[in-house]
Amino acid sequence: MHDFKNRLVIATIILGIAFLGLASRLWYLQVLKGDEFESFSLDNRIRVERVPAPRGRILDRYGRELVVNRPSFDIYVLPKDVDDVKTLSDRLSVVLKDKPELIEQTIAEGSKKSRFKPVLLAQDINRDQLAYIEARRTSLPGLIIEVSNLRQYPRGVLGSSFLGYIGKVNESELEANPELHNNSLVGKTGIEKAWESSLRGEDGYAQKVTDALGREVESSLFEKDLKSKKSIPGMDVVLTVDADLQQAAEDALGEESGAIVVVNVTNGEVLALASKPSYDPADFVKGIDAKTWTRLLNDKTFPLVNRATQGLYAPGSVFKMVPSAAAMEEGIINPDGKLHCPGYHKLGTHRYRCWKRGGHGWMNMREAIVHSCDVYFYQLGEKMGIDLFSKYMKEFGFGTPTGIGIEERAGVAPSREWKQERFNKPWYRGETIVSAIGQGYVSVTPLQVAMMTAVVANGGNLFKPDLVLKEVEFSGKEHKEKAELKGKVPVRAEYLAIIRDAMTGVVNDPGGTGRRARLPNIKVAGKTGTAQVISLDSQSSSKSHMDHAWFTSFAPSENPEIAVTVLVEHGGKGGSVAAPIAKQILETYFNLKKERESDDNV
Amino acid sequence: MIMFDRRLLYNFGWSLFFMTLAFVALSLMNLYSASYQTGLVYFKKQLMWVLIGIAAMIVVSFINHKHLKRYSLYIYAASVLLLIFVLVFGKEVSGSKSWINIGSFATIQPSELAKIPVILALARFYDNDYEGVPYGLTDLIKPIILVAIPLALVMMQPDLGTTLTIILISGSMILFMGVRKRSIFFILVVIMGFSYPAWHFFLKPYQKERIKTFIDPSKDPLDSGYNAIQSQIAVGSGKFVGKGFMSGSQTQLRFIPAQQTDFAFSVLAEEWGFVGSLVALLLYFMIILWILDTSSRSKDKFSVLLCFGIAAMFFWHMVVNVGMVIGLLPITGVPLLLLSYGGSSTITAMIGIGIVLGVRMRKFPVPATPFELN
Repeated sequence: MHDFKNRLVIATIILGIAFLGLASRLWYLQVLKGDEFESFSLDNRIRVERVPAPRGRILDRYGRELVVNRPSFDIYVLPKDVDDVKTLSDRLSVVLKDKPELIEQTIAEGSKKSRFKPVLLAQDINRDQLAYIEARRTSLPGLIIEVSNLRQYPRGVLGSSFLGYIGKVNESELEANPELHNNSLVGKTGIEKAWESSLRGEDGYAQKVTDALGREVESSLFEKDLKSKKSIPGMDVVLTVDADLQQAAEDALGEESGAIVVVNVTNGEVLALASKPSYDPADFVKGIDAKTWTRLLNDKTFPLVNRATQGLYAPGSVFKMVPSAAAMEEGIINPDGKLHCPGYHKLGTHRYRCWKRGGHGWMNMREAIVHSCDVYFYQLGEKMGIDLFSKYMKEFGFGTPTGIGIEERAGVAPSREWKQERFNKPWYRGETIVSAIGQGYVSVTPLQVAMMTAVVANGGNLFKPDLVLKEVEFSGKEHKEKAELKGKVPVRAEYLAIIRDAMTGVVNDPGGTGRRARLPNIKVAGKTGTAQVISLDSQSSSKSHMDHAWFTSFAPSENPEIAVTVLVEHGGKGGSVAAPIAKQILETYFNLKKERESDDNV
Repeated sequence: MIMFDRRLLYNFGWSLFFMTLAFVALSLMNLYSASYQTGLVYFKKQLMWVLIGIAAMIVVSFINHKHLKRYSLYIYAASVLLLIFVLVFGKEVSGSKSWINIGSFATIQPSELAKIPVILALARFYDNDYEGVPYGLTDLIKPIILVAIPLALVMMQPDLGTTLTIILISGSMILFMGVRKRSIFFILVVIMGFSYPAWHFFLKPYQKERIKTFIDPSKDPLDSGYNAIQSQIAVGSGKFVGKGFMSGSQTQLRFIPAQQTDFAFSVLAEEWGFVGSLVALLLYFMIILWILDTSSRSKDKFSVLLCFGIAAMFFWHMVVNVGMVIGLLPITGVPLLLLSYGGSSTITAMIGIGIVLGVRMRKFPVPATPFELN
């Protein structure tokens, strides 16, 4: 028995050592490393949820909603909390109407990247789906329902060409804006893109206590002071556009391809900016699907191009105001002096034809504009030379972007230097001659023509066109956009008055080319244009080779308020196609104005 | 069979009895917190098992160990039969056939219940066989067969945790009785020689995974290492004084796996901190110490070895379970006797204490004064 006593002493020593071993490990974990493990246990149960900031609305100048938000319920899965992917996928497939294998694959791909980041499974589920999932949430660990905002367009496609669309953020946008996340939707074009920083707002966050299955726990037992930050809603952008006028403009174009620009000539505010055909921005709200996107990209009518600011066209005769003003200002012609039009202009052996084969006979400036005599302007151009002419084109805003803010193209105000650089060739005199009637190298956007028209109408002020009136913070604080004068065109007021008078004649004189824009009570001034479409196959009579129809106008002629520019692609004659459209717009504008004034008086 | 000798009450091991009750009370409190979120089902069942266990402990303590010795091989045989029964009729839960249904309400786990019979059988064997010299290889054949029969049956379930504890308990007892150094060396060489083929041919993938995970739990923090990491986070975040009763976030938000059973100690460590865990561990340590003390005061080989085996049972459960909870040992599914939920393990532990109490009160003379309690 003595042996046993010794062995029991050894056993007791082993027991003591084991006890000390366990106790010291406890000391190490709980006392030495306690703080570290405490933070681990905090990370375990605290989940940071993003509180998305609602994107600002886009309103018309009278506060009517063009683009708003609606809530979207989105289904995410947090891979780390899923205990059985198969069951989850099977059950979700019932409600999401997706193949279970597809859902499983999506989760698997997401969890490969990170098990701690939620994987988006479905966006914008309907009420029935939401009810089904909400009722079964506790039995589906790892499932997260998040509310996000989706764009909604109360007026449908109205204004889509300049409002722009939104889409999933891409790599470079993510890099430039660290506050964005993978599923962010950002403006891709138009107002949505250009005013992105105002519209976006600032996301907030909220810490939530969750259990081991990722379910949110109500109890405040485990965390007394959860941190959170409120989101700052994006600013509303109030446009200068009048939705009614915009509607009228888009209706007036109908099925035609073309553009209409309406600007306030006194300050450069854009009242309507129509471009047809356009697209439905609703297709983009959840990120566009590949099929629709390919269809839009390959569409030969280019619905994604905003023709008002990005469409480049030869201006044709609507350009004639520029050589008129330049020639008078430079003393090259006396407006009362007459030039003879035999129906053509000869340069060397080449004959440049007037649109009127028989010729206009002797014409002064006013008559030349009213009848749109080409030969008169050929002669002006030849006398003036391209250097002077080019300078005035630029003064009127051609060849440079207008600065409207959304996507636009500069167009071409040709010059010797431009041609040298572009084609590495010298300038020919014949090119000056065709430039004088807005053909040849000259290319412009409808917006530039409208701004040029405004310069004539307002007596020489070239404004930067404004699309946005103000931005309004959620708190109501307003940031107004001021009218910006880009420059004063160096043409004496009396000469501009002569051009205005001539444009009034275009619409009102017997024999004027724009008579179809006349209004009963208000005197309209305008200028028609018919721009040739250069084609290798000039014999073809198909629509794609018809001339572009232009009409640019302002009214009332004695005290101008607005300028209206109409372009109809391959429409034919400006006077017969574009002028009646402009008339409709002008009519609408003055009717709306009358209505508003009578409303105000009540 | 039960003799109500006046001596018995004088020599009753009140200290061991009350320490056991204290630890059981502590474990019930702990289980209350751990099962609070799931409707206290575990707590209520365990309360019943504890009451049955206390009754069993008291009844067993009054059995004279001479009778125990006489019937030990029958008890052993019954246990083996039960192990065969479970293999045939048992209920399979997550791949192991380890449970027998008793009615619709309770289940028993014959492998847990086999520990005491194995201890009894080994004590009985050495009581006859031992002549004071260390055992050589051939002498070891008999006791090893005695252990190997139930062990093989347990492995067939398979129940890795119980297999391990039976090996540790019987190994301790065999070593306690003495083995020649040469034989120990030989056995070690054989084990090492077999471990390579065992790793490649016998261990199941999940078992290998557990061992790999133990070596580096952070390697795969969400699958096999998850339990180990969450348990250590629970223990560590308890810090010095703990998060408070029912306030352990790891417990209440159910980050701790098997928190009512194998990981019950991490619940205690989280909610009561270093202070609480040390008190619980100290109590456990004292219980084992008391059992060893009883062993050393016993006058016959059978009692010495019986008590030593029971001490070894508590010891290895403590080391393997707590070691696992605090990240010192791999996850093996060994409960902490008396702290973990479970009817079979609780009753086994209480019967063990009861046997020790029985041995203790029959071994000492009546004290001079009737009030001196021991």
